[in-house]
Amino acid sequence: MTRFLRTPDFTLAAIALLGFVVLAFATSGNLLSAGTLGAFFRFLAVPVVIGLSQMVVLAVGQMNLSVGALTGFCAMAAAWLMLEAGLPAPVAVLAALALGLGVGLINGLLVVFTRINGFIVTLATMTIIQGLRYGVNGPDTFQGYSAGLRAFGRASVLGLPVVFLCALVVAGLVGWFFARTVAGRRLLASGGSPFAARLSGISNDRSLVVAHGLSGLLAGVAAVITVAASGSVNASIGDDLLLPSFAAPIIGGVALAGGMVSVTGTVLAAFLVRLVDVMQAQFGINPRWIDLIIGAVVLGAVLLGTVRQRLHDRGSTA
Amino acid sequence: MSVATEEGRTESAETVRKPPRIPWWANPRVGLVILLILLIALFTALRPAFLDTKLTLVPLQSDISVYLVVGLAQLMVLSLGHMNMAVGRMAAMSAFVMGLVHDQLGAGLVVSLLLGLIAGGLLGALAGLIISRTGVNSFVVTLAMDFALVGLITILYTSVTDGVAFPTLPAGMDALRFDTFADYCLGDVCGPRIPLVVPFAVAAALLVGLLFRFSRLGREMLMTGANIKAAELSGIPTKNRIVQAHALSGLIAGLAGFLLAANNGAFSASIGGEFLLPSFLAPVLGGTLLAGGAVSVLGTVLGATLTQVIYKGLNLLQFQLDQLQLYIGLVLLAALSLDRARHVIAERRGAKL
Repeated sequence: MTRFLRTPDFTLAAIALLGFVVLAFATSGNLLSAGTLGAFFRFLAVPVVIGLSQMVVLAVGQMNLSVGALTGFCAMAAAWLMLEAGLPAPVAVLAALALGLGVGLINGLLVVFTRINGFIVTLATMTIIQGLRYGVNGPDTFQGYSAGLRAFGRASVLGLPVVFLCALVVAGLVGWFFARTVAGRRLLASGGSPFAARLSGISNDRSLVVAHGLSGLLAGVAAVITVAASGSVNASIGDDLLLPSFAAPIIGGVALAGGMVSVTGTVLAAFLVRLVDVMQAQFGINPRWIDLIIGAVVLGAVLLGTVRQRLHDRGSTA
Repeated sequence: MSVATEEGRTESAETVRKPPRIPWWANPRVGLVILLILLIALFTALRPAFLDTKLTLVPLQSDISVYLVVGLAQLMVLSLGHMNMAVGRMAAMSAFVMGLVHDQLGAGLVVSLLLGLIAGGLLGALAGLIISRTGVNSFVVTLAMDFALVGLITILYTSVTDGVAFPTLPAGMDALRFDTFADYCLGDVCGPRIPLVVPFAVAAALLVGLLFRFSRLGREMLMTGANIKAAELSGIPTKNRIVQAHALSGLIAGLAGFLLAANNGAFSASIGGEFLLPSFLAPVLGGTLLAGGAVSVLGTVLGATLTQVIYKGLNLLQFQLDQLQLYIGLVLLAALSLDRARHVIAERRGAKL
């Protein structure tokens, strides 16, 4: 039990809970009204999924700069399929997921076959995808697509939005993937030490492709949630997702070097960032301060992690 | 990756021989020059206006100057194997200081420029300090710094200028924007049609090149990037070198912000917003690796030139923004893959000999 109390996840959970309670009091209960609470969790869904999307590639020691652009591209593609091609919503949703998976796999294959650093490859594909995203419908907005999908985006169960529950299910699946499946453990092994993984008979190349593919698939999930929850999409979707995609796993304690993941930490960190967002909306603070605060929080969290690691090392050597 | 270490180990154990010379055609710089010539020929064939001095070549030189300096700012930290994700925002902060010093204190061009550069250098030094003292990945530190500065810059501009840009510019900025050396004559002899911002970029490139090639400081930065443990054991103060490289990166980013402000004709909050991608494009196309320990200033010059030629050419061909991005990305991937392929072929040939 004391061991659990010392985990970073517990610290994060405590901070998140404290922040939530303080904010609830500070807004004199306004935060807890059904409408505000629903909105709070509805717009938490995308940051959670996009954070996981980045976390999966961080697990193998890679980065995916194209997550935001890919989310926007998949969202635009899904809307296009429904409005212009006249396909039913479930087909469009599946197509968006498949598109995300496909682009992710291309990222992975490019990294493996060219041996170019993943940062550079995804920087290049990000630019390409941004062009494609704009190419779907130019500067115009898609709206008025499938009523069923939009109803799904607005629906709630027991006061919690369905899209948020979907994000939690996705988080659970990702956690299960890394904790229990062979493929997930292989990803972590490759990320932790490619050399040791290779000696153990694990194909690092396959791990890279799987991680990038999964990251793309999760970007597709984020796209579907965006399409369902927002009611209209245009070519700017995803532009503001790149930095939060890194913020969530990094605050959540995922190392950039690879070899480890923290699904709980990532979800809690996304929750924290959302709290800061809501604080801004509730008190009418200049939104620009929020960037400043989130930047400081990311840095603070990382510093705290380093200090904790040092204390831990000192404790174990003594 | 593991294969490389194995080979390296056996090789160094057997004989301490020089690494096999890479044939000239595997040199990324040569590839870039050929690609440049081909693209210029292509664009000129499609649109003869591409070689029009006033319409294309003069603005092209201004653009290349800005993005060359942006690339150099990134190159400084790439030498360590680090990244500077805040390169655009450091440029913006630096430009803000320049505008502020001029607007509030009425300082002239030189004083504003110097104070702005110092501000950029201090921001870079702060990033370097955090990285070297805590050992946190440079990507995270500069990314968080970017987050923080995005907010700060908008707040500062709205509170000081009640707008997004300073209303006035120091005297001389207009000349930097519009004039070329052809406007300055000594008797009958006039200068070439080169914009006044070009010498700034050339000087920056020369200084950075000299730093890495001949100065002890630059060599020690490269050593730190190549192998920090070995550098530490050789008595190099690696922590100081990290701070210095980041400080120089911030300072050069500030210069890029100044040049862009000169080109745009305003110190505005939007400066640096488009810097991140080009900052990596120029050095990486030029053959600088993200791993650190080796840099190519000449490659950065060629990389910056290539990207701006492509932008300008596609612009002249009236491509839309989305297609522009698409092709830039594709060219980047193609150039990098070709480079990689050349390298692999060269290595195979070298192995057979």
